[in-house]
Amino acid sequence: MNAQVQIDAEVRELSYAEAIREAMAIALESDPAVVLMGEDIGTYGGAFQVTGDLIDRFGPERVMDTPISELGGAGVAVGAALTGLKPIFEFQFSDFAALAMEQIVNQAAKLRYMLGGEAEVPVVFRMPSGSGTGAAAQHSQSFEAWFGHVPGLKVVQPSTPAEAKGLLLAALADPDPVIVFEHKLLYKMKGPVPAGHYITPIGKAAVVRPGQHVTIVASAIMVHRALEAALRLAKEGIEAEVIDLRTVRPLDRETIIASVKKTGKLLCVYEGVKTLGVGAEISALVAESEAFDYLDAPIQRLGGAEAPIPYNPDLERAAVPQSPDIERVARQLAKGEV
Amino acid sequence: MPTEVIMPKVDMDMASGKLAVWHVAEGETVKKGAALFDIETDKAAMEVEAPATGRLHHILAAPGETVDVGRPVAFIYAEGEAVGQSPAAAPVTAVEEKPAAVAVPPVVAAQVIGPDSADLRATPVARRLAREGGLELASITGTGPRGRIQRADVEAAVARAKPGPVVELARPVVEVPKPVAVVAPAAPITWEAQPGDLNVTTRKGSGVPLVLIHGFAADSYGWRPLEEALPKDQALIRIDLPSHGRSPLRRVDGFADLAKQLVQVFDRVAEGPVHLLGHSLGGGLALALADIRPRQVKTLSLIAPAGLGPEIDGAALNGIARAGSVDSLAPWLKRLTARPDGISHDFAKAAMLARLDPALREAQQELAAVLFPDGVQAFDLTAALSRIAMPTLMIWGRDDHILPWRQALAAPGEVALHLLRSVGHVPHIEDPETVAALIGRHIRG
Repeated sequence: MNAQVQIDAEVRELSYAEAIREAMAIALESDPAVVLMGEDIGTYGGAFQVTGDLIDRFGPERVMDTPISELGGAGVAVGAALTGLKPIFEFQFSDFAALAMEQIVNQAAKLRYMLGGEAEVPVVFRMPSGSGTGAAAQHSQSFEAWFGHVPGLKVVQPSTPAEAKGLLLAALADPDPVIVFEHKLLYKMKGPVPAGHYITPIGKAAVVRPGQHVTIVASAIMVHRALEAALRLAKEGIEAEVIDLRTVRPLDRETIIASVKKTGKLLCVYEGVKTLGVGAEISALVAESEAFDYLDAPIQRLGGAEAPIPYNPDLERAAVPQSPDIERVARQLAKGEV
Repeated sequence: MPTEVIMPKVDMDMASGKLAVWHVAEGETVKKGAALFDIETDKAAMEVEAPATGRLHHILAAPGETVDVGRPVAFIYAEGEAVGQSPAAAPVTAVEEKPAAVAVPPVVAAQVIGPDSADLRATPVARRLAREGGLELASITGTGPRGRIQRADVEAAVARAKPGPVVELARPVVEVPKPVAVVAPAAPITWEAQPGDLNVTTRKGSGVPLVLIHGFAADSYGWRPLEEALPKDQALIRIDLPSHGRSPLRRVDGFADLAKQLVQVFDRVAEGPVHLLGHSLGGGLALALADIRPRQVKTLSLIAPAGLGPEIDGAALNGIARAGSVDSLAPWLKRLTARPDGISHDFAKAAMLARLDPALREAQQELAAVLFPDGVQAFDLTAALSRIAMPTLMIWGRDDHILPWRQALAAPGEVALHLLRSVGHVPHIEDPETVAALIGRHIRG
């Protein structure tokens, strides 16, 4: 059921950022083809201090500061991947990936197909994502659905430190371009992380809380908000099953469909704008599947507001689903009030 | 309130029935249990009994008319009860030969197909459950938003319908010692666990014995056809599961607990290594046994084993566990085979005779709720399947309506898969020769 890999290793408490740094250090140590690229990832340690001291440990030839040009940097990373390196390219904010769309969407995602499978682009793009930091409209967006719409890309969204490490190592092991959306509010979150090399498989969701009354599919920080809501609902006798999506592309249909067949109720929670978002795809795949005959209420979605993320902190909170919102809709679903 | 006389569902595939003849005329008295009218299905003609004593009024279906299952065809008024307006009309789906003589006034017909039924709101699962339970959605009151019919509404209606006309009208076919065919809405029987060991029977023979573990709501009797097809000198050990066959009724709190109870009897009966064969739930248990006692199992044979995916036909399981008469059991048994005529009436009769004890049926219903809550297989044996190392054979019918054969694809490459065409959930009953040949080859190595 749970796709978490069994690991017989020492487990420590690390932050999400530390877990990502550890994954990169393991990759740099074990594979000479791995290089890090990005703006201010060297001496400065990265916009969110994720790369930290890696430049001191591995030197400027493998931890490379790139000029303030996302298109240029991403282009170098894609070219390096094509010619045998395994670059991890960090964007300071996922919003800035808009500047590099040509390289990601038109080059990295296409080349394996256009060259008849004779070329690989094993590049990883790390993208700090999401709202809640007071960084306003141009530094707070959630673009999972954008990249999830492109065949040739894989898109993951870790929700815990252990997943952040396991999914980044899985991304590096993958021969195709992988986008890793790291949620900015999670960087300081601490959690158990196994030592050494391990992989959290791409394309597998995890049932992080079992329940029989309503299924909540969430990703990244929404997993934690859904779990908080589920804890409160449990006091009322409502058992919500919470699925940590982990991967946006390719979606884990089996886990979602099996859960909806069990509960008959589905709530999708995602931070990206509600319209045409990840939850829209999940709703559609359930409605198209054999789980349709098990639905006992209309599928519900909680997504981001149809507006740019505001600067005002109260409005910023109101623009994305919060745990009381999830609790309210899940309760209505479970009680048959929707 | 007059008693509604409805078109009963006497066959799983039956959506409507043709009324052949009335034995009682409008206004005449009738006694509960007396023959009231005959229906014709594709397969047989059948007498339907009066659900109540009183006077027959408002006959809504004339001979030759086809009426949807669950729709009223007439009403019985108790003696002295005032006869009012016709409370409902039967929707006529087809009238043979004489369309001019439709008994239903056009106004009523218009109401039936009017906006009310078109506006009916029901969730997909409510629609499916009503369809499977043979209930008209229009007869169910929705308690959801804007009157939407939800799962709970259908389940409540099914529970109400159980002791109602559909079952009462059923023609008792089997001579039963206790009046269990006519189900009264009596208080549910609270069964008690019984002491004692599980029932084990053996057939003497040569060589390594083959241990047989039957499926849910079956018993060792079900292996008969296969036993006859196997070599006559093949030694057999049959185990009746708890609350099945002649084993005592026991409480089981989950699959692991059931497997534990089975390991105890297995350790007692398997003196040396044995060949192990299980079907459906018994297949899941055989797999668990092989995982727990790998050195005691020489070869493993699994027929449509449980535990390799979440899907299972929960309605059929519950229907079989609950059925209190041949008439309510036979339609569900027909789901077991690829074709509805795969289960003979004699087989259904024998199966019902083995389950006359209401306490046994209660215990099995409880077991179904524990193992298959909400119609889902609550246990996952794919990991066990990938762990076992002894030669393993899996047989599955491609027309299995209970457990989808694609669950067989969970098997690792070492497992020999046989996906039989035109076979359903009980290959050992539908095609015992093929199954015996496959198993014979498998255990001989």
